[in-house]
Amino acid sequence: MSATRFPADLAALAPLRDLVKQRADAAGLSTSRGYRLMLAVDEVATNIVLHGYQENGLEGHLDVSVEVTEDNELVVCLEDDAVAFDPRSLEGPDAEDLSIPLEERDEGGLGIMLAMDGVDRFDYERVGERNRNTFAVRLKE
Amino acid sequence: MTLEISGGVENAVATLVLKGELDASSAPLFKTEIEALAAQHPTRLVLEVADLTFMASAGLRVLIFAKQKLGTGVDIYVVAPQPAIVDTLEKTGFHHSVYIVDQAPA
Repeated sequence: MSATRFPADLAALAPLRDLVKQRADAAGLSTSRGYRLMLAVDEVATNIVLHGYQENGLEGHLDVSVEVTEDNELVVCLEDDAVAFDPRSLEGPDAEDLSIPLEERDEGGLGIMLAMDGVDRFDYERVGERNRNTFAVRLKE
Repeated sequence: MTLEISGGVENAVATLVLKGELDASSAPLFKTEIEALAAQHPTRLVLEVADLTFMASAGLRVLIFAKQKLGTGVDIYVVAPQPAIVDTLEKTGFHHSVYIVDQAPA
């Protein structure tokens, strides 16, 4: 499985999304599920760039690979060399938070909520000095 | 494709046309436009988004900013969003605070 390397910069988000979209289309994922997968990867990649790299004064890369597994899942693997960070550790809004009017909203957690919601399975692991985020969607519903 | 924004304030109605992709990279541009409009104290904000193909949570945060900056009495209309964006607005409860409509209100 070969990875595509992007600079850890917000400008890389658009080409990163294009890659995921292209592979999702090729794998036969529906438009709406492909979009949700693309959104999930975008949200986590944004967190890595802003909080993993930039906030810590670091520069680096995002390595992305996409494959269809024997279990008929489309799996996106996103790796980086930034500080250890498990997106699942961020608490997303609960049902009550989501009913609060916008003017009283706390801004946090929306991205991670959308990311977790957009895939069938999300995994995080620290592998050596790298973070590995795995997004999986089933190809047959 | 990046984000293109155009618009202005007419008869106290602020209108912004958003085309392209609204992500963490382009959201600051959207925020700047909202700030410029707020200085003119509009009574309504109309966002024409038929050609907006992507919106991340960074875009949602600008909507929160808009609501706080313009004031709670200023209604926000999101006009003709694509289905994926409606999905995001509904999933995050934003449809309770903005009007999702097919056409700009008269």
